[in-house]
Order: sequence, then structure tokens, then C-alpha cells
Amino acid sequence: MNIFFLLIIILFSGALLSFVSNRIVPKISGIISFLIISLVSILFFSQVNIGETFQFILGEIPMQYGVTPYTYIFAIIVLGLGTLAAMYSIEYMKDKDRLGYFYSNFLLTILGMLGIVFSQDFISLFIFWEIMTWSSYLLVIYNGYNSRNVGMKYMIFSAIGAYAMLTAIVSIKANYGTYTIAEAIQNGAFNFSEHMYIPIMLLVGFAVKAALMPLHVWAPNAYSKSPMSFTSIFSGAMSKMGILGIGLVLASAYSYSNNDDTTNYITALRYTLGWLGGITAVMATIYALIQTDAKKLLAYSSVAQLGYIIVGLSTGTELGVMAALFLAVVHGIFKGALFMVVGAIEKQVGTTDMTKISGLIRKMPFTFFVALVSIIALAGVPPLGGFVGKWMLYEALITESNNYFLIIVIFFSSTAAFLYSYRFLFGLFLGQEEKETEHVTEAPITMIIPMMILAILLIVTGAFPGILFEPISHGMHNLGFSDVNWSMSVLVNVWGEESNMTYINLSIGIVFVVIFAFLTIKGYKGTKNVGTKDISTGGEIPTENENLTFQLDFFKPFERAAAPLYKRSMDKIWNDLGNAIDSLSDFMRKIYSGNGQTYALFVVIFLVILLLFKDTLFAN
Amino acid sequence: MEDLGLKIFGAILTTFMAFAVGMTYGGIVRKLTARVQNRYGPPVYQNFLDLLKLQSKKTNIAHGFMGHMAPVWIIIAAVTVLMFIPILNGNLWFPNLSFHGDLIFLLYMMVFGSLGMALGAGQTGNPNSAIGVTRGLSQMVGYEIPFVLALVALMIQYETTSVQDLTQIQHETGVWNAFANPFAFLAALFASLGMFRYSPFDIVGAPAELASGPVSEFGGKYLGTMMSGGAVFAFIKLTLYVHLFFGGAGNPDNSGIWATLAGIGILLIKTFLLYMIPVFYGWINPRYRTEQAIRYFWGWPTALGILGVLWAVYIY
Repeated sequence: MNIFFLLIIILFSGALLSFVSNRIVPKISGIISFLIISLVSILFFSQVNIGETFQFILGEIPMQYGVTPYTYIFAIIVLGLGTLAAMYSIEYMKDKDRLGYFYSNFLLTILGMLGIVFSQDFISLFIFWEIMTWSSYLLVIYNGYNSRNVGMKYMIFSAIGAYAMLTAIVSIKANYGTYTIAEAIQNGAFNFSEHMYIPIMLLVGFAVKAALMPLHVWAPNAYSKSPMSFTSIFSGAMSKMGILGIGLVLASAYSYSNNDDTTNYITALRYTLGWLGGITAVMATIYALIQTDAKKLLAYSSVAQLGYIIVGLSTGTELGVMAALFLAVVHGIFKGALFMVVGAIEKQVGTTDMTKISGLIRKMPFTFFVALVSIIALAGVPPLGGFVGKWMLYEALITESNNYFLIIVIFFSSTAAFLYSYRFLFGLFLGQEEKETEHVTEAPITMIIPMMILAILLIVTGAFPGILFEPISHGMHNLGFSDVNWSMSVLVNVWGEESNMTYINLSIGIVFVVIFAFLTIKGYKGTKNVGTKDISTGGEIPTENENLTFQLDFFKPFERAAAPLYKRSMDKIWNDLGNAIDSLSDFMRKIYSGNGQTYALFVVIFLVILLLFKDTLFAN
Repeated sequence: MEDLGLKIFGAILTTFMAFAVGMTYGGIVRKLTARVQNRYGPPVYQNFLDLLKLQSKKTNIAHGFMGHMAPVWIIIAAVTVLMFIPILNGNLWFPNLSFHGDLIFLLYMMVFGSLGMALGAGQTGNPNSAIGVTRGLSQMVGYEIPFVLALVALMIQYETTSVQDLTQIQHETGVWNAFANPFAFLAALFASLGMFRYSPFDIVGAPAELASGPVSEFGGKYLGTMMSGGAVFAFIKLTLYVHLFFGGAGNPDNSGIWATLAGIGILLIKTFLLYMIPVFYGWINPRYRTEQAIRYFWGWPTALGILGVLWAVYIY
């Protein structure tokens, strides 16, 4: 049997099996789904050859499956993160109800994403896209009735995206006579020479999943209301499906644009997308830093990070697209890890409200380590993987785009990201240790292992980014970029300046060892370890029950300074639009009242109008 | 192998020089500030005495792992940044690693120490520390905007992101960047006020208000190590500014002993004069509130930075 079918069928039967088996042996479906995803990953990475395709005809439509070097990058994200999230789920979901429901949808989501990666024609792409959307919708509403509004928002925006995509797909068939992605690109479906709405419609469809402003409003709530073990792939992997599509459309547009007119249109599109990405990044960041719920904070931060990726794609240059793809992978890693961290805290403490928890560092040291590493990567501080991506993004913007003010927007956003990064670490792990959290213990080992693997990956991608550059450069070759330069641990921009990760790591490592040894050894016996109550607050010794917790209004001064920025909210605009449609419908209801008398009146009025204007209407 | 030995020697020499210069500058500022306020003031070498005292304390209070790590982060950031900036233009004695990292890397590496420090301060559980940190981070978002605008202006003006190249260009043309792009220079100058955290931007430590803020729970070896890191950092910021805007120091064609010493002399004069700008500004100003400080940087300094970028794109 063909390997692509085999993988899809394994996942599908796994979904059924985990649903049914939970009725027979309780709690087994978690282990089953982990085994299934592991099996799929092993089969994929050992059996699937890049470039291999398989085609069959269904009706009159050729369905084509395969993995291109470009989609292979996303397969790594989906399967890698999927396996780890499934392992994490076993303990995380242990005490929850409806495990069969959860795991079957979990596997179906993975199936949808893998299917998108495999799809070489638009019809299968759309089918798998819908499978992914529906199964993820069912997981968003997993937590009950209250999250239904959230689910509704997600569904509405997904539907907008799906209709846009479907329109584009049908138009491609009508105008270019093909459903196959590669053929459509070659026939110039995306090159803006004619039928400009096709690439734009497709971009809208993909942008919904990539949470690009103004289509992002579903994301913060959907990310934070879903079970955390799912959110780590929801935000880490599924949002990357949108990036996959946007990258494909944009790169094809760049590569196949053939005259000045189309180049102008594409430049306009690039600027629009770049600014949309930049504004998404800024707005999401400043909303992230006023959140008090750790989940919400991470959800907004996801939206912001996706903004950077879109900015990278919009540059259209080699370094920029490479930065975007690198950031996409790294974002999958660290955001996956961070949502797992929050999940671990939710499980061990019972809440993720940062005004209620603090000082978990001594109780959950491994979780803290993972959070620390991931946050360093998120903030883009050297020497981890996040820095590599940020560096390339800035260099691409400075050296190759003429969009200099976009650099400032991005820079503002990533500096403000330090604020919420600190808020996250401080709110959960640092600060006063409270009586309420005294009983907390470290998360179970099967939750720690996947998080640790992700943290180690971040350190490795910082030291040897070449590991990721290799598949990315093949993928970019596939997209039409020629001669993609990369080396194992030296980053070079087009002006020839470099940042050498080996020297950076070496310097940091040597100083670390020397100073750490110095501080630890010197006066080792005279060093007294104290708790968080053993402090002096301005020369006074705090009493036993004095409240020393600082969690509310954390960045109030910043909020005051940036007050004008907080006045704008896309959420409000969409709500206003919703209300407007509501009142329009109310008005329509007055016309279509469902009352026979009213309709009879309409007929009479119509006849009267006809009679009155019969001379003008039927003049000839 | 001889080459490597020389490099290690150069690196260690650089670190000690930066440390000594930073500490002495701090002492001079303490003395000058005292004289301005009509006090007698401590001797210029008082900072060295303080450090000696802190490092020789018998009992040290440790506030958990992140608290223990805080000084380590600071020194890592300070020494690493120091290794990646050119001390003297083209001089063979202090090349260190200045060809292997560019401005974007330096920008990010410079916040590494502050973030590590922030985490350490957070673990102590002292609310004043955390408040100081939130103020510091907020203020950073303020001054980074004009600073980055200025750097972007320079980078696109000369099409290079390397500090070394920017210095070399000034050496070749003979025109300092302070004059080649005056708007960018002014924006960076305003940003430096926030960077050095003298009044009116001393909201992080905020004496008599936050009880010295983030460092309030640190003492002994921890505080001593932080102090050393801070001294190196002061030198780094000054040297970076001198290389970016004031033509740098040192003669790339001559690395003889006298030329090197002359170069260091010029570097010291330029850095000291530059250092006096935030200090002088501080003497005559009371403290801002945090939001006022942020707004300050988002006002004229940012406007100047934008002008700088426009200058680099259209006029230069």
C-alpha cells in the first residue's frame, strides 16, 4: 500500500480506536494515541522520500499526494510536536472526562495537518483543511458550555477563510484548468497578471489560521480555552499550516512574476502584508503584557510571533523567507513548550491566574528550567534558537527591504516582548512564596520529558542553527529561491557581516563557567540560603502575615504611557460589525415578517408603484 | 598557538581595562556630584574600596538559584559584549572577537544581563525589586526606540551592520557620524540618558523610593560582582557610542606601543566627555515618573530618530 495512504489510514483508525477503546478500558486512549503518533512519525521519517508523489483519479479529479522539500519542514513541526504533545497528554488529561472524544479529535487534527502537508492538489488540501478545522473546533469547545462563544468565533472566522479558499480553488480550476498545486503555480495562477483575486482569496483563507490581523480575533480565546496539551500543537503546529500556505502563495508570486505591472502589484501586496504583520505583532504584544492569565498571555504572544513570521515572508528576499521559516520551526518548539509549562502548572496548582500563583520555582524546578529556556528563545536573546531567527529577520529588513519603519515597529514589539516574558516568569515562578501554593509538587515525569526535549532542542538550534537551515534551504530551493547560503553556525547577511554562533556560545560558556565557579566556591560556607520572607523591605523586617506579593497592575506605568495604543481594538470593530449585521437582520425581519397579511400588502404596494410609474417604466 | 595565547592575553587585558576605567569613572562621578551638591565627597578610588569590602564579607545571603545566577548573567553579558565591540580601531592588541558579531547581536546581547538580573531580583521576593524591574523594562521600551532608529539610520547610510566598519568609514572620510547624520546622533544621545540611568531617569534604583530597587536584596559577593559587571557595562556603552558617532579611537595602520597608548588616551578622553552628558543632565533634574520617562523617549528623541532615518535615505 502507498505510504501516504498508510499513514492517513493509521491515523484515522487510531482516532476510531482511541474513541472506542476508552469505553472498554478507561484511560487507555492516551497511550494508544501516543503509540499511533509515534508509529506514524517513525514511518514518516524512515519510509517517506522527499519528492515522491502518488496520484490517483477520483471522479475526474486527479488527487495527488507527496512531500515536497518545502512541506517537509512543516511535517517536522507537526509530527515532532504532535508526538511530544501526545506523550504529554497522557498525564495531563488523566483525570479528565471524555478522553475518547479528546483523543480521537486530537488524532484527527494531526491527520488533517499531515494531510495538508501531503496534499499536492487543492481538492485534497481543502478536504484536509476542513478536517483540521472541524476537529480542532471540537477540541476548542472541549472545556464546556462557556467556551462555546469562543468556539463560535473560531468557527465563523474559519468559515470565512474556508469560503475564501474554496472560491479561489474553483476559480483556479475555471481559469487555469487544473487542481494540482504545482501546475497552477506554473500556469501563473498566483503571479498577479490576471485574476488577482485568486491569490488574495487564498491568502485570506490561510491568514485566518495564521492569525493575521484583522482575522486574528478568534486566536487569543481559542488558544487559551482549549486543553493545554492540545494548545501546544494548536499554536505550535496548526498556525504553521497558515504560514505554509502564505509562504507558498507569496513565494510563487515572487518567483513567477514576469513583468513590471505584476511586480508593482506584488510589491504593494508585500508592503500590505508586512505592515499587517508588523501591526499584528505590536498590538498582540501590548495586549499580552496586560494579561493576568498565563494562558491568555501566551495566546496573545503567539499571535505576535506569527506576525514576525509573516513580516519575514513578506520581505520576499532569501534571508527574510529563511528567517520566517526558521522562526516558524523555532516558534513551534518554544510555544509548544510554554503551553506545556502552563498546562503542567494548571494541573499541579489548579489555576493559571498569575494573581493567584507565585513563587513556584522551588517547587517545580524542571518546569521552571523549561520555561526559562523557552522564554529566552521567545524574547530572542542570544544564544538560543529564537535569536538566530530574529537576527536574520532584522538583517533582512535592514539590508534588503526599503521598509525601514517596519524595522522599528518590529523592534518595538520585540522589546515590549521582554515585558511579558518577564511577567510570565515572575508571575508563575518568582516572587513571594504563598501559603496557598505550599502543597504544590513537580509535574509527573511523562510531562517533564517532552518539555525537556523541546528545551534542549532550543539550545541545540541556537548553537547549530545549520541543523534547521538544511531542510529549510532545500524547501526554499523548492519555492524558487536559488543558491540559498547557509552554514552550520555562522549567520551572514547580504552585506557580508556575520554573527558567529560558535564564538558567541564559546564566550558565554567560558564566562559562565568561570563566574559561576567563582561565585559558588568563594565563601561557600559563609553563604546562607534564605526563603522569600527573609528580606528587608526598605530597612524594615516584614511581619509574618504582611502581604508582599506584587502581581496586580504589573505594568501599569507602561499602560499609562501607551494608553493611546490600547484604545484601538480589532475585537471591538468586529463586534460592532456583528451588532450591525444583527440590527440589519432585525430590520429584514420586519420586511419578511412571516405574516401573510404583510406579504399581501407588499403585493398591493408593488402594483400601486407599477401603476403610478407605468409611463416612465414602460416608455418604449 | 602563540596567536591564541596573545588573543587570550588581549581579552583578559581588555576586561581588566574596562573594569578599571568603569570603576574609576564611577568614582569621579561620585566626587563631582558631591562637589556640585556642596559636599566633600568620597575619594575617587572609593568604588575599589567598596568592592574590596563587599568581596571580603564572611557571610553572604543567597536567595535561591536565580538569585545566585543574577550576577553571573550580568558578567556574561558584560564580558561577551566587550569581546564583540572593537576597543581600538584596527588595533592588533585588542581585536578580540569584534569581527564575529554585529550591531543587531550587540543590541540583543546588551539586554541579556538586565533580563538575568531581573530574574534574580524577582526570586528574592522583595516587592521593591520587582517594581524596580518593571520600571526598568518599561523604560527600556522607551529609550530603545530612538536608539534603534539611530542605529538603523547609520546602518542604511553606510550599508554595514558592523561597528568595526562604521568606525573605519569615519576614519577614512574624516567625518564623524555625529556630523554625518546629526539627527541620528541626537536621537542616540537622548537615548543614552535613559541608558545610563542618571536623574531624571533613575527610576529603576530610585534611591529613597524603592530602596535601591532590583539590587536591594543582594549583598556581599553578589553585590560586588554586580558592581564589577556594571562598571564594565558603563565602559561598553561609552566605547560603543564613541565608535559609532565620535570617530572611534586608535590608528588602524599603526599598532605600535606608543600609538596604542595614544589611542587609549583618546578613547578615555572621548568616553569621559561623553559620560559627562548624562551626568550633567542628571544634576539639574529631579526624577520622572515611569510613564513620563517613557513618553519623553517617544517624543522628540523618536522624532529625531525618524528624521535621522529619512536623512540617511534621502539626503545622504
